[in-house]
Amino acid sequence: MHDWRLLVQQRLAGLLIEDGEAAQVVEELAGHLEENYQSLLRDGVAEEIAARRALERVNDWQDLKRKLESSRNKEAIVNKRVTQFWFPAFLTLALSMVLLAVIQIFGPDPWVDNPLQGGRLRMTPVAVVYVSWLIFLPLIGALGAYLSHRAGGRKLTVFSSIVFPVFPYMVFFAVGLPIAIMFDDRVSHNITIPAFFAGLAGWVIFPAAALLAGGLACSAFRFSVAKR
Amino acid sequence: MIATGVKKGTAELAILSVLEAGPLHGYELSRRIEAQTKGSLSFSLAALYPMLYRMEQRRWIRGTWETSSNGRRRRCYRLTPQGKKKLQPLRAEWLELFSALRRLTKVSNA
Repeated sequence: MHDWRLLVQQRLAGLLIEDGEAAQVVEELAGHLEENYQSLLRDGVAEEIAARRALERVNDWQDLKRKLESSRNKEAIVNKRVTQFWFPAFLTLALSMVLLAVIQIFGPDPWVDNPLQGGRLRMTPVAVVYVSWLIFLPLIGALGAYLSHRAGGRKLTVFSSIVFPVFPYMVFFAVGLPIAIMFDDRVSHNITIPAFFAGLAGWVIFPAAALLAGGLACSAFRFSVAKR
Repeated sequence: MIATGVKKGTAELAILSVLEAGPLHGYELSRRIEAQTKGSLSFSLAALYPMLYRMEQRRWIRGTWETSSNGRRRRCYRLTPQGKKKLQPLRAEWLELFSALRRLTKVSNA
């Protein structure tokens, strides 16, 4: 005798719809599988084969779960998007911006001692602020990955949450700056191609790499823990 | 076998058409569709129930819990007046599509 209700309950554990509705969905699906199973038994199919064939009605339980959630509860999907993407993404963005401001205000002095050369090595303030910021970005990327993973985010969602802080800069370099070059003479006369690519590397590529270094390390760590 | 995309589009029509004959629970509904289409249309649980719930939200069908003679609780679906209204234009749309395809492919007995 198969406990179809228990089986469906286990396979659909964590279904993001209201509790009362979830119980009804479980009962209904369990009833469907039970009827299918009983019908196969009446046709003379052996118990084990009948159970297997009844279960074949569900190819992918995760797919069924997602579809049920989207059909029963729009709010749950919105909440899921918020916890898996929007919250980690905006938190990483806010933290990276706050960190940049904090380093600018309270960060290291632009003049750094270099004992090897027996004197003082002059660094530009931008580099001092920028390098310090870049060093801390992996931690922020790791936090974004952790929060997105914890909420059940998929690979693409986790990836987007990690690199979200560079998105505004990317939009600026990909859309804002080209438009400014086209319509503003002062911008088009003052910007050089090497400067454009240096800016792109400095504000999009390097920060994205730093964020990803932390984020991917966090994902790999979670993966290895889950495998144990 | 009919391709998945086409099946998805015809699923609403199939469900409404079968429910037009009378209320049915999910398992019986899928069994009837499969039998009446000689197996060309068959629903997995992941296709049937989300579709039923969506149609219920649109108020084309209404599901109510009923207890059968053997004491088993089942959710029976019946067509609502809105569902009946929806069925006619849906049938006309699909008929038009099939006629257009028939003309296009010049298949006389499709």
